[in-house]
Amino acid sequence: MPHTADVAVELRARSELGLYQAGLDALRELLVGTSSVTPAVERSIEPRGADPTERLIHFLTDALYLWDTERFLPAKVTASGIAGETYDPAKHQAQREVKAVTRHGADVRVADGGYHTTIVFDV
Amino acid sequence: MRTEGLIFADAELMRDLEGDQSVQQVANVAHLPGIVGPAIAMPDIHWGYGFPIGGVAAFDEEEGVVSPGGVGYDINCGVRLLVAPLGIADVRPRLAQLVDALFATIPSGVGASRSDVKLGRRDLERVLSQGARWAVEQGYGFPGDLEAIEANGELPAADPDAVSERAKERGKSQLGTVGSGNHFVEVGYVAETFDAAVAQRLGLEPGRLTVFIHSGSRGLGYQVCDDSLDGMIRAAAKYAIPLPDRQLCCAPLSSPEARAYWGAMNAAANYAFANRQLMAHYARLALGKVFGPDAAERTRLVYDVCHNIAKHETHEVDGRSRRLCVHRKGATRAFPPGHAELAPQFRDIGQPVLIPGDMGRYSYVLVGTAGAFRETFGSSCHGAGRRLSRHKAKQLARPRNIPKELEARGIVVRAATRATVDEEMPEAYKDVARVVDVVHAAGIGRKVAQLRPVGVVKG
Repeated sequence: MPHTADVAVELRARSELGLYQAGLDALRELLVGTSSVTPAVERSIEPRGADPTERLIHFLTDALYLWDTERFLPAKVTASGIAGETYDPAKHQAQREVKAVTRHGADVRVADGGYHTTIVFDV
Repeated sequence: MRTEGLIFADAELMRDLEGDQSVQQVANVAHLPGIVGPAIAMPDIHWGYGFPIGGVAAFDEEEGVVSPGGVGYDINCGVRLLVAPLGIADVRPRLAQLVDALFATIPSGVGASRSDVKLGRRDLERVLSQGARWAVEQGYGFPGDLEAIEANGELPAADPDAVSERAKERGKSQLGTVGSGNHFVEVGYVAETFDAAVAQRLGLEPGRLTVFIHSGSRGLGYQVCDDSLDGMIRAAAKYAIPLPDRQLCCAPLSSPEARAYWGAMNAAANYAFANRQLMAHYARLALGKVFGPDAAERTRLVYDVCHNIAKHETHEVDGRSRRLCVHRKGATRAFPPGHAELAPQFRDIGQPVLIPGDMGRYSYVLVGTAGAFRETFGSSCHGAGRRLSRHKAKQLARPRNIPKELEARGIVVRAATRATVDEEMPEAYKDVARVVDVVHAAGIGRKVAQLRPVGVVKG
C-alpha cells in the first residue's frame, strides 16, 4: 500500500491466526526479502492485548524483538509462538532495519468471512 | 479540532501532499487536549504515523498531554555536523579511501552492532543518565564538543529505571552504530555561503570538508516508545481523551503514565546523544587514519540537534510567558540569537540548524531566528522530506545502478545493502533547496551555507 516514509501493508486472511501469518510474512519479507527461511526451531510468544488489533501488534512486535536481539527469522506461526531459524548471511539477504510495528491505521475487522487490517511498519 | 493547522509550504510542496494522509495527520494533532497555538507542519512534512513527520505541537503544562506518537519510535533521532581542517581539493585524491575508512569504522546496516563497545550494566545506566558527557569522559571526543550539542547532550529528566529490560537488552551493543533506513554518514564540503560572517564563525569557509552524521537511539529508543504505548492507550481511555488514531495515544502531562514515559524518553534521548558522540569519535579516527592525527584532532563539532523529541520550554503566547511541552517530530529546534539556553559561542548568531538533503544534491546550515520563536515555538524543518514511497523508489531504481550514477557525479557510496540505497535514491526526496527557501522566506530560519556531498555511508 502507498505510504511515503514507512511501509504499509494490507493483511487479509480467513482466520485471526491466518492474519498473524500474513503479518509475519510481511515482516520477514521486509527483513530478508524472498530469502527462504526454514521453520527449524520454535520460539514461544505469549499472547497479550485487549482486542484482536492489539494482539496482532504485540505478536508482530515480539517477533521483531526476537529478530533484533537473537537474529531469529520467523517462518510460520505455531500453536505457542513462531517457528524459524537464525539469520545466516550465506543463506539470507538482509534488506533493511524495521524499527517498529506501529498502530497507525491498524484496525482488525471481520467482514466477508475474513479478517483484514492495515499495518504500517516504521523502517 | 481544538485549534487550526498551519502548514509552511509553497504551491509545489503542497501538491506533493496530495493523495497522502499528512494533512489529515495535522488535523488529528489539532484534536489533542491542551494544545496551544496551531498544530504546525514544516515544509518537509510527509506522511508518518500519529503526528506527521515535520510536525510541531505545543501543549499547556497543566491541561496538555504528552504523546509518544509526537516524538516517534526513534527518540532523539538527530544530526550532527563536523568540520575538518581540510579542503575538498586535498581530499578528492583520497576520497574513496576516506569513505572506505568510515564504512569500516562505523558499523551500518541491519542490526549493526559494535564488538569493541559492549556496555556493561553500570555504563549503560550512565549513558542513559549522562548522554554525551559519559562518552566524552570515556575519551570519545573532546569536552568542548558538549557546548555544541542541543541541551549539552544531556537531558537531566532522564530516569534509567523507567527504561525496560527489553530496551536495555536492545541497546547494549548498538552504541556508535548508524543503523539503516534514512540514517547515514556523509562527507561533503562547503559549496556556498549566504552569510559569510556567520559561516566563518561556524568554521564553514567555502571548500572546507564536512562530515554529517544522522542517527538516533537505535533499538533502545524504539523499545522505549513501544513499551509506552500500551499504558498510553489505557491512559487515553482512563482520562477520556478521544483518539483519531491509536498512534496518537497520550496522557495528561501531570499523570503517572506521562511521568514514566518522560523519564524513559529522556533516557533514550541521552542514549542517542551518546550514540552520535561515539560516531563522531570514530569519524575523527577515520579522518586521522587517512589524513594524519592532526586532521582528527582539529576536526570540530559544528552542532548537534534533535529531530524527534518533546521538551519543556518557555514561550511567549498572546503576550504572556508560558511553560509548554513542545513536541518536535521530524522538526528541529531553531532558537534565536540571545536565547539563554544557547552556549556563549552561539548567543549572538542564533542556534545552528542543520538540514540534510538527499545523497545526490545538497544540504544546508541555517541559524534560528526570532521569527521561529514567535511563529513555530522556536522550530524549523529537519530535512528534505520524502516525496516517493520506498516501494516506488525501488521500482524506479531497479533497472538502474544508483551507486554508479552517483559515482559518475563524484559521489562515492558505500552501503550494507542495495535495498537501502535504492529506497534512498535522490529522487525519493523533495528538493531541499525549495524546503529551505520556504523556511528562509517565512523567517523561521536563516540560510548560512550550502554543503554538497562527495561520499556517503548508508546502512
